[in-house]
Amino acid sequence: MNETRNSKLITCQEAVEKYVKDGCFLAVGGMHMHNNPMALVHETIRKKRKIKQLIASPSANMNAELFFAANLVEEIYLSYVGFEHLGLAPMFRKSAQEGKIKVHECDEGFIIYSLRAGAGGLPFIPYPKGMEYSDIPKVNPQDFKETTDPFTGEKVICAPPLNPDVALIHCQKSDEFGNAIFEGSKFTDEIMAHASKYVIVQVEEVVPHSYIEKHPGEVDLPAFIVDAVVHVPFGCHPTASHMYYTFDEMHLKEYLKANKDKKVEEYLAKYIYDISSHEQYLEAVGGQAALEKLKGGGKPW
Amino acid sequence: MVSAPEMEGNQNAAGPSKAEIMAVALSHHLNDGELVIMGAYSMIPMLASRMAQLTHAPNLNYIAGGSGAVNPRLEPLVHSSCDVRNLKAECVLPLPTVIDFEGKTEIDLFFAGGLQIDKYGNCNLVGIGEYSAMKLRGPGTVGLPFLARARRFAIYTQGHDPRTFIEKVDFISGPGFFQGENYNEMNIPSNGPALVVTPIAVMDFHEKTHQMRLKSTYPGVTPEQVQEQTGFELLIPSSVPESEMPTDTELEIMQRLDPQGIARNSIR
Repeated sequence: MNETRNSKLITCQEAVEKYVKDGCFLAVGGMHMHNNPMALVHETIRKKRKIKQLIASPSANMNAELFFAANLVEEIYLSYVGFEHLGLAPMFRKSAQEGKIKVHECDEGFIIYSLRAGAGGLPFIPYPKGMEYSDIPKVNPQDFKETTDPFTGEKVICAPPLNPDVALIHCQKSDEFGNAIFEGSKFTDEIMAHASKYVIVQVEEVVPHSYIEKHPGEVDLPAFIVDAVVHVPFGCHPTASHMYYTFDEMHLKEYLKANKDKKVEEYLAKYIYDISSHEQYLEAVGGQAALEKLKGGGKPW
Repeated sequence: MVSAPEMEGNQNAAGPSKAEIMAVALSHHLNDGELVIMGAYSMIPMLASRMAQLTHAPNLNYIAGGSGAVNPRLEPLVHSSCDVRNLKAECVLPLPTVIDFEGKTEIDLFFAGGLQIDKYGNCNLVGIGEYSAMKLRGPGTVGLPFLARARRFAIYTQGHDPRTFIEKVDFISGPGFFQGENYNEMNIPSNGPALVVTPIAVMDFHEKTHQMRLKSTYPGVTPEQVQEQTGFELLIPSSVPESEMPTDTELEIMQRLDPQGIARNSIR
């Protein structure tokens, strides 16, 4: 009998070094300014990994924007990149307007259908009627294809399967083997992980395997699809981690102001290039005292 | 529906805010028993939906956009649609499930908006200018193509100006009545846009031509002013009433749900 199982717990640097390769198709989880896997994003930018294709959740925020700021993205499958109530995403906007990146014009449905097709090994997923009345498929014939519904004979628009090389996902908890739990919203992170070839999960807390065995119904990502577990408390900063802390609005505004003042390079240097770890990043943004103020202390109600 | 009482001294600062009047217009449009959904930056629609539950529509259900939260209690209302505080709710759905409900036409009403909105209620979140050389690259369309799958939709905007309300959108990212008259031949479940609520007026659409029509104006705003701030010719009936004002109960509910004025004071 042999019950020695390999731990997948490695450092942020090791995980990115091993799984995020130059020229990869990268998937990044989180939604708006919540659950963005920023420790992994920062490390990927620090290593200046070139991203051939980027797919983020249907509403992306810093998880996509910073890659444009660092000029690392060639193409994006776009549903939305922005800052919700704080405005537009300046470097995404600039990169797209200047034609520096290729935008695969998509929608929320596309992100979900293409990942679902990728996750299930399906050849494509047909859209419900109506997509043909928007201009999206017209400007993106590469990704939206028309076929005939074999049951009705009607024309349908389809999304292709997408299988990103690696997904960066933030979960609140996991054991060392990668049985991972979303404590709040799951957003699209579950199917993103299912569709991707490799999955790195960053977590607020590493829980003992015995906890998982007591609560198997709570586990959202089974260990067998997770390749690496990275323990990074406050790993979503400046975005929120549901049930752990809220987003740092002052910091998000600092980033937006850096753009206005044409000081994005300085921002990237201060918070990414000139430091070497997530721990140093947390010091750079004000350390424990500043971070404590963002804590919700479990359920914020 | 209890009809709103005449406003007293509605020109002075003590009157309801523009956002409160908007929330009331949206709230009154929602029917008991319906299922409605909103996307990002939707503080006013969220306030309107929760207020409808607490007044005339106790069996209304609403999904707070990307959070997947069903019937958030808004204790209190917060800025971000995906905020964890919205999960003080009845159920939290993963987004793929939300998309399935949209595709299946479970949604009675979708709250929509855009960088541009045209006279047929088509919305644009993709960008301004020729697609190949946009002057302003927008954030992307998110869920707007699925407007065609909701039974109807309501448009709300934070401003009312001729750059937003234009003759024809540069890009249809959310289909409204499309080109107008051929709409009825479209093989989709939607009945199209039903209501437009801005900080100065409420509009609906002509039953036959599907063009935007002025329905009511806010206190102190004339139909001429609304036309001036609109980039296309609005249909203006011979008599345009004042928009419904919040009742005391509604004002109290909005104050309680949004004590910080996140939505209530969101429009200058």
